[in-house]
Amino acid sequence: MIWQIDLLILTLIVICGFCTIVVKDLLGAAVIFGAYSFLMCLLWTEMGAVDVAFTEASVGAGVSTVLFFAAVHRTTRHVKMKPSGRLMGKTIGLAAAGLMGCVLLYATTDFPSWADPNSPASTHVSPRYITGTIPDTSVPNMVTSVLADYRGFDTMFETAVILTAGLAVLIILGQTGNRSPLPISRLPQGPITQGYDDTIIRFITRIMTPFLQLFALYVIAHGHHSPGGGFQGGVILGATFILMSISYDLRMVTNRFNERTNLLLANTGLLIYSGIGALCLILGANFLDYSALAKILPGTTTITARSEAMLGVEIGVALAVMAIVILIYNNLVSNGTYENGL
Amino acid sequence: MLEFILAKYNYWIYILIMMIGLYAMLAKNNLIKKIIGMGIFQTAIIIFYVSAGAKRGGTIPIIEHAHGAEGNAVDVLHYINPLPHVLMLTAIVVSVGTLGVALALALRIYGRYNSLEEDEILDRIDQDETATETTGALPTTMIQS
Repeated sequence: MIWQIDLLILTLIVICGFCTIVVKDLLGAAVIFGAYSFLMCLLWTEMGAVDVAFTEASVGAGVSTVLFFAAVHRTTRHVKMKPSGRLMGKTIGLAAAGLMGCVLLYATTDFPSWADPNSPASTHVSPRYITGTIPDTSVPNMVTSVLADYRGFDTMFETAVILTAGLAVLIILGQTGNRSPLPISRLPQGPITQGYDDTIIRFITRIMTPFLQLFALYVIAHGHHSPGGGFQGGVILGATFILMSISYDLRMVTNRFNERTNLLLANTGLLIYSGIGALCLILGANFLDYSALAKILPGTTTITARSEAMLGVEIGVALAVMAIVILIYNNLVSNGTYENGL
Repeated sequence: MLEFILAKYNYWIYILIMMIGLYAMLAKNNLIKKIIGMGIFQTAIIIFYVSAGAKRGGTIPIIEHAHGAEGNAVDVLHYINPLPHVLMLTAIVVSVGTLGVALALALRIYGRYNSLEEDEILDRIDQDETATETTGALPTTMIQS
């Protein structure tokens, strides 16, 4: 931690945040927000939170920006200028934000000083995770072991939240009325005609996609030993499909990978996670207590069984996250019709 | 005094980021701008949590040379607190879900009222309501949607 770099990045973040909300073009705002996310990612690397930085790089700087592009593409990029109006709202907003800031500034006097090794947050339960991760689970990356093992319940329900978000998008944007509710029939089959026809971009996408997907699988499988895991790998996998549907056409992806498959994968992912938990229950241990799986996994002890079950859980998370990222993008970019994309 | 500033300036900047986000959510007229404000607010909270796990002199939370050195004692002060990282990692992924839902709602609102500006949408809702009261018929926008 070098405080000069920290201060520099924080200053740039504040500038980017400020520019994002004052700029009058929504596409520009989305791009600056992407830069803001990227600076956040740098800040987290600087603070040593490598897994968080990895997630932010793939989710915040990558997928979120594309989702904003999709929404702006379906609406408008212009913000209407009203110099005289809404003075009242602005005053109230400024007053509320200022008041909140003052209260919090007053509260900072009680905080432990920044990066204090003896702060309350670092002295209660976290030493147990740090010293226990190798003897308990044989996983060197403690973020993975806390995520998938010590706090497996938490992560399971986070995955359920993602699934719910995907379903909510489907309900909000999906066509209602006399159409069939599970919209396999609403996928127009046909040749790829629309889109920005650029040979170079399409060629590079075609070459890069397998390598990107291989990298995503590596991130999922190697999350035990290095930054990465199911969430990051799943988002990268989803992003490769988004890349294909941007550089070719939405149909290119939906012809191969339609909405029903997508929903099936998302549910399968969550089912793998909770299924592993239930299997532990059947084998006589607590829900998500992976050490019981040593009875059925050949060649494992109660310690390495936890490591291997974590891989299974991460695969489940990756499937669910990948499917939901694709689902949200497809619905947003086509306004729920699946007819044409960006 | 300098020591006090160095110990706390990080928190002050997080509060500034949070204020930018809160102001955008409250005062901006455009729905997409409000959603961006929500994103900024979220990152301010996340950054606060992650900084709570920071330790001076600590390294990233991955055990060094784990294999072959299982017997070595692990010094707690040597590694950053992993718990806030885990909580915030999942929070970031959930934030893309909330972003998706928020943008989907904005798309539906645009589809019905043909505007992303809050005051115009409110005006059109008022018009719809008065039309319903006077004629008893469904407003045209509702039929179209």
